[in-house]
Amino acid sequence: MSDLERELEQELHRVLDPIAGLPIPPRRTIRDRRVTRALLGGVGAALSFKLLTGVAVAAAAVTLAGAATTGSLDPNVWGQQVKTRVAECKDKLADGRHGIGDCVSSFASQHGSSVASAARQHGNGNQNGHGNGNANGHDKDKNHQTPKGQTGSVPTLEPEPVDQVGAHQPVNIKPGR
Amino acid sequence: MRSIGKQPAGAESEPYEPGSEADFERLYRDTYRRILGTLITLVRDRATAEDCTQETFERAYRSWASWRPDAPVEAWLHRIAINVAISNGRRQRLRQAGELIRRLGRPDPGPDPALVAERSDLFNAIKKLPTRQAAALVLRHFHGYSNREIATALGIPEQTVASRLSAARKHLQAVLGR
Repeated sequence: MSDLERELEQELHRVLDPIAGLPIPPRRTIRDRRVTRALLGGVGAALSFKLLTGVAVAAAAVTLAGAATTGSLDPNVWGQQVKTRVAECKDKLADGRHGIGDCVSSFASQHGSSVASAARQHGNGNQNGHGNGNANGHDKDKNHQTPKGQTGSVPTLEPEPVDQVGAHQPVNIKPGR
Repeated sequence: MRSIGKQPAGAESEPYEPGSEADFERLYRDTYRRILGTLITLVRDRATAEDCTQETFERAYRSWASWRPDAPVEAWLHRIAINVAISNGRRQRLRQAGELIRRLGRPDPGPDPALVAERSDLFNAIKKLPTRQAAALVLRHFHGYSNREIATALGIPEQTVASRLSAARKHLQAVLGR
């Protein structure tokens, strides 16, 4: 045996012999590894976690907004309240007015404001103050000025009739009929 | 010199039964430290060696049912361990390439001084050998296997073992200036 070989043996034993006194750790099983990978696994897990967090926050915001408006956590109650309001507005038509737009719009406006406020509180709201709480697309300000020289008209729910063949004049429903 | 063909120390009287869960657990306890010793010489650091040892036993477990008792069990484990070390070396080189790109322009932090202190020039030189050459050295000069037993463990001709050992020694002599 050469000097180098002797030195090799001595050096390897000097470094590796202390291992003999070490405790043996439990054997890692394939199942352990799969579970670890599933829990901590890379980019996919991180994206999934973010996505799930986002969905959960959005769901919580919608639920809280609905609850704040209606006093109930049940979305069915929210829909029922809108139905009730529409029915009430229709009943008022008997007083000689046509169109329930303003009536429903005022309710929608209140509802939209609450939703926007709740959403802002939960971090997904419009921070620059432009949230219009447009729950059903009718939360515009109805107090805008009418241009000079024009008279305001009562809004109707019906769209402007269109003459398909151009042979008839459009028919408007006049108030007070 | 200890023979690789025998059961590991402490297990001479009871042969291992392929596929047996209890026997594999016994094999793990009997051979863990020897496999770890080999891998410490072949991979970068202690933590990596421990991880590679666990991976070795995971791979062995997957093939445990098909292991043939006529083959030396420790030779079989060493063969798996060396393949794990080679795979780890490839992954390590890829990571190093990525790190090199990331730290372009910054000085190389170098190896951990605490680890370097406990090693000699000779041990560091062994770690820089190609994995297969280092494995032949460890099996020969630490585990005390003969060239024939190393050939069995690595699944290569005995002549190849001799040439790997010769190349490793020449490389070490050149590095150490002897």
